[in-house]
Amino acid sequence: MRRVAITGVGPVSSIGVGKDAFLAGLREGRSGISRIASFDVSGFPNTRAGEVRDFEPTEILQRLNPAAWGRSSLFAAAAGRLAVNDAGLVPDDAPPERVAVVMGTTCGESSVIEALTAEIVERGYEFMSPDLLAQSPAGRIADGVCEELAATGGSTTLATACSASNYAIGYAYDNVAEGDVDVVVAGGADSVCRWVHAGFYRLGALAREDCAPFDRDRQGLLTAEGGSAVVLEELDHARQRGARVYAEVLGYGSNCDAEHIVAPSASSIAACMQLAHRNSHVQPGDIDYVCAHGTGTPSNDLAETRAMQEVFGERVPVTSSIKSMLGHTMGAASGFGAIASALAIHEGFVPPTTHWKTPDPTLGNLEPVPNQARSASVRVVQNNGFAFGGNNAIVIFGACS
Amino acid sequence: MTCMMVSGWGTICHAGLGRDAFAKAFDSACAAGAGGTEASEPPPWPGERFLPNLDARELLERKGTVFMDRRSVLALAACGAAIRDSGLEVDDTNRDRIGVVLGTTWGSFKSMSDYTRDTLVEDRPYRVNAALFPNTVMNCATGQAGIWFGLRGVNATIAGTETAFLEVLRYAANAMRREHADVILAGAVEEYTPHTAWAGRLQRRSSPAEGVGTGEGAAFFVLESSAGDSRNARHRGVHILSVVTGYVPRHNGARDLDRALQDCIQRALRQAKVGPDEVTLVALDHAAGAEQDRRTTRNIAAVFGPRQIATVRVAPALGRCYAAQGAFQMAAVMAGFQRAANDESSVALVPSWSEDGSVGAAIVRG
Repeated sequence: MRRVAITGVGPVSSIGVGKDAFLAGLREGRSGISRIASFDVSGFPNTRAGEVRDFEPTEILQRLNPAAWGRSSLFAAAAGRLAVNDAGLVPDDAPPERVAVVMGTTCGESSVIEALTAEIVERGYEFMSPDLLAQSPAGRIADGVCEELAATGGSTTLATACSASNYAIGYAYDNVAEGDVDVVVAGGADSVCRWVHAGFYRLGALAREDCAPFDRDRQGLLTAEGGSAVVLEELDHARQRGARVYAEVLGYGSNCDAEHIVAPSASSIAACMQLAHRNSHVQPGDIDYVCAHGTGTPSNDLAETRAMQEVFGERVPVTSSIKSMLGHTMGAASGFGAIASALAIHEGFVPPTTHWKTPDPTLGNLEPVPNQARSASVRVVQNNGFAFGGNNAIVIFGACS
Repeated sequence: MTCMMVSGWGTICHAGLGRDAFAKAFDSACAAGAGGTEASEPPPWPGERFLPNLDARELLERKGTVFMDRRSVLALAACGAAIRDSGLEVDDTNRDRIGVVLGTTWGSFKSMSDYTRDTLVEDRPYRVNAALFPNTVMNCATGQAGIWFGLRGVNATIAGTETAFLEVLRYAANAMRREHADVILAGAVEEYTPHTAWAGRLQRRSSPAEGVGTGEGAAFFVLESSAGDSRNARHRGVHILSVVTGYVPRHNGARDLDRALQDCIQRALRQAKVGPDEVTLVALDHAAGAEQDRRTTRNIAAVFGPRQIATVRVAPALGRCYAAQGAFQMAAVMAGFQRAANDESSVALVPSWSEDGSVGAAIVRG
């Protein structure tokens, strides 16, 4: 079977845009959280989120006209462009029909929907702008990446909420492994918006100041945004052009809790981990590091830890949550986890869980890498992604031998 | 690709739930929905196609529908009909291996927009209803289907416009090929709301005289790997032989959709090992208008030559249904095969493209 390598990474995040800035951010435990500027926070008790404050699409994009696309699509296209540049892929390396795009999202073009809603509220349905309507379908997120990269091998947008970019990477991996295409740019994108901020607040799942996953006193998540993309490339194809290989995709698993639309299920998450291990031909003892879903809500972190205890027994691997730095980037989140996983393997370190102060006795012997990144030999990483709808997806990455 | 067998199907459209209603929708005597419904605000224009007086509790015959949005209700209704049609029995021995893959354009435009509206018009912006929050997430209906029918396998939502359902079929085929699932309930859904109605009206390219208004509904298909256990198959003969999709970026401001669509159809035929002469039925969508319809037929003629092939058009009957259009094309193929009854040589083409640049084609043998 064809092996699949990660040869490029493209983060557009609140802790840094581009590989070098993102890697430095992970190493130093940088916070990407700030007071919300993308909408008027008047009247909201909680006012912080992980916005990408210095996102300038024109500095990154080569083909796409930013005026014609929504914010989530621009995040995706910028991430895709950065990933392809990082991979050193030029058009001669792969014909356009051998390059496909698979992107994930939770709320699609939410900022476009919100702009249309403002028009509805102010003047009525009949005054919705046709230009905004044209930008509103969520499928435009992968379309924008195809457009930017002139890729013709297919445009797929997976809208499986907050594990969507793991779904995207898993599907991309299968397509490369089976020889449908040679290169897939995969990841996800979402934008900070009013409704998601309000909804998580109303659910009691929003932190006030900082996101502190696995801490006893964790309050919840912080909404965030960005675009994440990785280049998945058939290994021989990568080697023939002398590409740098960060890591290899070993496999993945996905399943559905089928129990509750928002509450996570530890047993279903554990089953998903086992599916991922089996698909990747690894044993629980092979996992060196878990890049956690780790939203920082009391219920997620408990269910995630219980699931790990069920699967790993006494020896739960070192685990950290990069959402402590980025906030919860929704459809982009597990894509950022994938980038962090690839960098952890390639650079030999484990990113920290920041804002961590007090151990939570209900989480047992979990080792959350508190506040300081750590040098480590990392050969196999498990990247967790869970979502509303009970949509679990877990991808396993390994050092490329 | 893995050849998939269709072992059951179900639809809901403006004319109602099930196969008879679907057939009735193609009867020109069936007028557009009328009468009081939350979906009729603002009042519908001629040619709009929506289900009047949708009662979720009655349709789904169970409690637990209070907070569901229209999109989820339509999806669950069609999914349940497909399961009943296939005779698929879901139990603890198979629920981990049965998945749901659903196509959608926005998720629920109305659920997202109404939630935002509440943050703008309430005296406090956070005075939103927590129970409605899951409806604003695009995968809500797919997750609901998992819960409603107890399906714990692959559960994926695919966003797209006209071609979304072909992406759904490709995702389903991959899930079986890679042994992630044994059975996939594959479908697509779109709801009729003031948001979609006005979106359709404001974006309408055709003249109102063409009569294609906005529609709604869902169609689902129970797909099984052809190599798998076929005990439940009532439609033993129907197989999806190939699905091909692609994307056409703009080049110097224009897209060469014609060449890409022809290429997709030819690749789909090759993968299916079917010659152009064998195709007996084409199911067209094209809701965007006469010009778009001409483009599709022109490209089909370029592949198949001047030969007349039986053609069914879903948009004039069902309205413009965005992501659900592809699923309705597939349903029209199933209905067409049933009418042709036992004609061993039935082969259908389901072509699709969108102004956004995606193209695709599927070949189905009846």
